[in-house]
Amino acid sequence: MLLDYDRLGWLKVALLGFTTLVAAFLLLPMVFIVLLSFGSSRWLAFPPPGWTLKWYEDLFADPSWIEAALTSARIATMTAILAVAIGLLASFGLVRGDFRGREILRGLLLTPMVLPVVVFAIAVYAFFLRLGLGGTTAGFVLAHTVLALPFAIIPIATALEGFDKSIEDAAIVCGASPLQAKLRITLPSIRIGIFSAAIFSFLASWDEVVVAIFMASPTLQTLPVKIWGSLRSDLTPVIAAASSLLVALTLALMIVTALLRRKLQT
Amino acid sequence: MTEPFLSIRKLRKAFGAFTAVHDVTLDIPKGEFLTFLGPSGSGKSTTLYAIAGFQDPTSGDVLLQGKSLLSIPSHKRNIGMVFQRYTLFPHLSVAENVAFPLRVRRRPEGEVKRKVADMLALVRLENFAERLPAALSGGQQQRVALARALAYDPPILLMDEPLSALDKKLREEIQAEIRRIHRETGVTILYVTHDQEEALHLSDRIALFRDGRIEQIGTGEDLYLRPTTEFVAGFIGNSNFLAAEYLETVGGTARVRLADGSIVKGVKATHKLERGQKARLMVRPEAFRLRPADGNASLTVEILDTAFFGDRRRVVARTGSGDEIDARPTSDSAEVNSVDAAYGRQIFFDPAAAFLFPA
Repeated sequence: MLLDYDRLGWLKVALLGFTTLVAAFLLLPMVFIVLLSFGSSRWLAFPPPGWTLKWYEDLFADPSWIEAALTSARIATMTAILAVAIGLLASFGLVRGDFRGREILRGLLLTPMVLPVVVFAIAVYAFFLRLGLGGTTAGFVLAHTVLALPFAIIPIATALEGFDKSIEDAAIVCGASPLQAKLRITLPSIRIGIFSAAIFSFLASWDEVVVAIFMASPTLQTLPVKIWGSLRSDLTPVIAAASSLLVALTLALMIVTALLRRKLQT
Repeated sequence: MTEPFLSIRKLRKAFGAFTAVHDVTLDIPKGEFLTFLGPSGSGKSTTLYAIAGFQDPTSGDVLLQGKSLLSIPSHKRNIGMVFQRYTLFPHLSVAENVAFPLRVRRRPEGEVKRKVADMLALVRLENFAERLPAALSGGQQQRVALARALAYDPPILLMDEPLSALDKKLREEIQAEIRRIHRETGVTILYVTHDQEEALHLSDRIALFRDGRIEQIGTGEDLYLRPTTEFVAGFIGNSNFLAAEYLETVGGTARVRLADGSIVKGVKATHKLERGQKARLMVRPEAFRLRPADGNASLTVEILDTAFFGDRRRVVARTGSGDEIDARPTSDSAEVNSVDAAYGRQIFFDPAAAFLFPA
């Protein structure tokens, strides 16, 4: 290859330096947030004058934070289940189907990934208000499922493309009905894709804020909405603590995904 | 007449304007090993898939013991099948793969255990029961697939080029296994391949497919020694074709004139030809001799290359009219020195072992 890393010479050093800089620029704010969440300053001053766990205590003592976290988890879990179920059916159609407009449908199902979220949020807000779904869990889950669908379809469709249909045919000749063959042979064979789809759909809902702001009501808010709201009303280090936990959970899920992938692939 | 075990009646399969299988009719007795041989695209796999139920024929019927299979969905046909590609269930162990057809049939656990053990013994993979398919070689995977296909005692076993992904040595090894398993189980096997050696090695009978039709069906000997068409003669075994002109039939044998003007007498007359009609004379490589025997025809050739293979020699030669000949005469000692000189030689063959086809 023309741009082989090993043959870059002195450029290698420059490239490494630049990459490190970009990574640092992206990660440092999060490192600061985590550090601030343990700092004793009431005003989020850096460097913190001392260290404390007070903000975490405040966080867990406030039922509205716990409530928001549980709401987020509930909505994200339901979103993941729904997105995986729809994503699974859609993937079979997109990968195995032979019908007119298949590519258009594929593009359509993936648009939520590229469509400006705020446009989608406004549209859904107006639409759901009429349907009486605004501010309801069902509304939240439906809107988030639309956003999560591309993240469910991509890994499942990829796994299904890599799965030899002859294996399913073999199960059918063996006496399994077409449905049995899919449930007992095909789904277990593409479980890595399904699992990735579940995690990514969960995360797509878990840290989603734009649609959530539109959908939220005083009695129903997700964690990102609560953080956003608190940020505007009073700037307390409790926000830093909540944000740190949000990051921690996301990180944990990503690590679990990576580990499981490695385990399932061997 | 007793009813045939498996009967294919005027099976036809069209894909749009293209007809892959033209009215194939075939009766297969119980316990037979029948091979569908033919080049790719000749309709052999399509016929097999129609029997398996993966493709609905356009017309015609497939009868098993007199009952039509066509209205029965694939999974209820109770047919065994081994595919060209590796189709073991990747997440199940070898034993669970073999057990799968029994489990979907809800057979009792004891029977499943016993049958899995029997089947793994049949394919000699008893020690691999707990392995996952990814830990097996290609040959072992196909043997497990065979065990899985036989676990529920299907009346028919379909095999779609099961050895084409394996290397030559392994292929021969598993061919021997398949023969043994056919002998031991007595199952009726329909086997698809494009490899004529494999077909000759394995089958009781061979159906040679060409362009969606069965060109000839018979034992390997029938196809090799008594080919009815030039296509069959050319497909089975190596063959040499010499341009010829039909002259006349005298006393049941034909006389032809070759391109270099020489006359060959005593050729078997199997086809009806017009006097003066262009024809092709087919001679098997092993029918050539370096020394003439009684009644042999001779060809004046330029010898291009010779090689020694122990029991046989290979002589590559070209006739005066440009036909290339690949001859494999036996290498008896009297002939050893006669091929050393490279030019202006004569080569001989028994006309009774030659075949005449219309060109």
